[in-house]
Amino acid sequence: MANGVPAGLLYSKEHEWVKLDGDVATVGITDYAQSSLGDIVYVELPRTGAQLTQFGSIGVVESVKAVSDIFTPVGGEVVGINDGLESDPAAVNRDPYGAGWFYTVRLNDVAQTSELLSPDAYERLISEA
Amino acid sequence: MTIDASGALRHTALYDAHLALGARMVPFGGFEMPVQYTSILREHEAVRKRAGLFDLSHMGQFALRGRDVGPWAETLTVNTVANMKPGQARYNVFTSESGGAHDDVIFYRLDDERWLLVVNASNAGKMWDVVTSARSGDVELANLHGERALIAIQGPRSVEFVQPLVDADVASLKYYACTETRVRGVRDAVLIARTGYTGEDGFELFLPAGDATAVWDALLADNRARGLEACGLGARDVLRLEAGMPLYGHELTEDITPLQAGIAWAVKFDKPAFVGKDALLAQRDAGDYPRIVGLTMQGRVPARAGYAVFAGGERAGEIRSGSFAPALDANVATALVDARAAAEGTELDVEVRGARHRARVVPMPFYKRAKA
Repeated sequence: MANGVPAGLLYSKEHEWVKLDGDVATVGITDYAQSSLGDIVYVELPRTGAQLTQFGSIGVVESVKAVSDIFTPVGGEVVGINDGLESDPAAVNRDPYGAGWFYTVRLNDVAQTSELLSPDAYERLISEA
Repeated sequence: MTIDASGALRHTALYDAHLALGARMVPFGGFEMPVQYTSILREHEAVRKRAGLFDLSHMGQFALRGRDVGPWAETLTVNTVANMKPGQARYNVFTSESGGAHDDVIFYRLDDERWLLVVNASNAGKMWDVVTSARSGDVELANLHGERALIAIQGPRSVEFVQPLVDADVASLKYYACTETRVRGVRDAVLIARTGYTGEDGFELFLPAGDATAVWDALLADNRARGLEACGLGARDVLRLEAGMPLYGHELTEDITPLQAGIAWAVKFDKPAFVGKDALLAQRDAGDYPRIVGLTMQGRVPARAGYAVFAGGERAGEIRSGSFAPALDANVATALVDARAAAEGTELDVEVRGARHRARVVPMPFYKRAKA
């Protein structure tokens, strides 16, 4: 799988992506992250209604060998979570930008997205890794 | 984690082969070893359904020679050794005076006076000290670490993949038997044993390090199209856990005895004397020691080494190994728990990030291969 970085998304240094739709953001992890982690066997997501602080640790992604923290790239109220990951965590490996999405957040402050990386900036980050 | 490849870590003879296959390398037992080539789940499936190829050349290999090897080894270990016949392999544990484990090992008897002792990579230095400091009688020791390679092929199609390369009739080699044979392209005799650490049929090949790449490449060239895959230590750990096999440092340690580890079958109390015998007898007779049990988690959250285990709301032990087990589509673990919490069927709780998750004590192995 190529580490092509999709346009139209924003990125965090912790390898999450953000898709903005007005003040609602969908969050997942990037192809680079899923490839580094290996086979994903469990994802622990925040509860619907939870209040998240940008860049706080809000859940975990577990691969066969290891547990990794998820640092939310955006803060606000969780309005949806991807229930499908409970029975099919491998969706994160197969389709990290699509079926492998994690949760959606109603942003408490849209301006916070200025803290995130453009596709070009994220591409530079992973090519230097 | 940064990997220092500048000299602090050793390489096996197959290091370049692993890189050529795209392996992700990690430090293990003082060596840089492949943890995975493609994916742990894919490599696990290869072993359970077809066969996998493993480089185990990081493990310690000691040549033992002399008339007294058997009786001498019996004084340092829990299992019998002297009654092993040429062509037999046997699992054993070296113990301390307190009954704790220095290492779990396999002895291979090649002939009346020639033996091979294989020890865990992480214990190679310690075990060389143990055997050399205890050496007595007609026993010569040689440390072959680095001179000899160890390639394992494990899986239901192992016989089919190995036979064309090897003179001996491998199909008729019994489980835990070994023999010296000729391998295509290798000048010296190679020891082949029907041993392994996955719960599947398979073979281990002990050969000169200089011949390892040729044999590794030949096995893959001949069989990759038929489904043989290179497999790393990540898959190896899942396979051995499913098969209920202890991993030193987890289910056996200097503080976890063979009785506690659930391998009392390997402890032969009718041997006249061995290091740790008195301590193990006392432990056996007291009977109330904490012990390793197998757990199946009820949900999708994996248990991991170090997580606390509770019985009836009270702390009862800790997880020693844990993983998602693809062969069972469930999360399994081993735990060291108080005797009161160890009965099969006991419901326990495992604390994962502050929340308690239900698990049940189940017999091991978690997975058994189908009878051929």
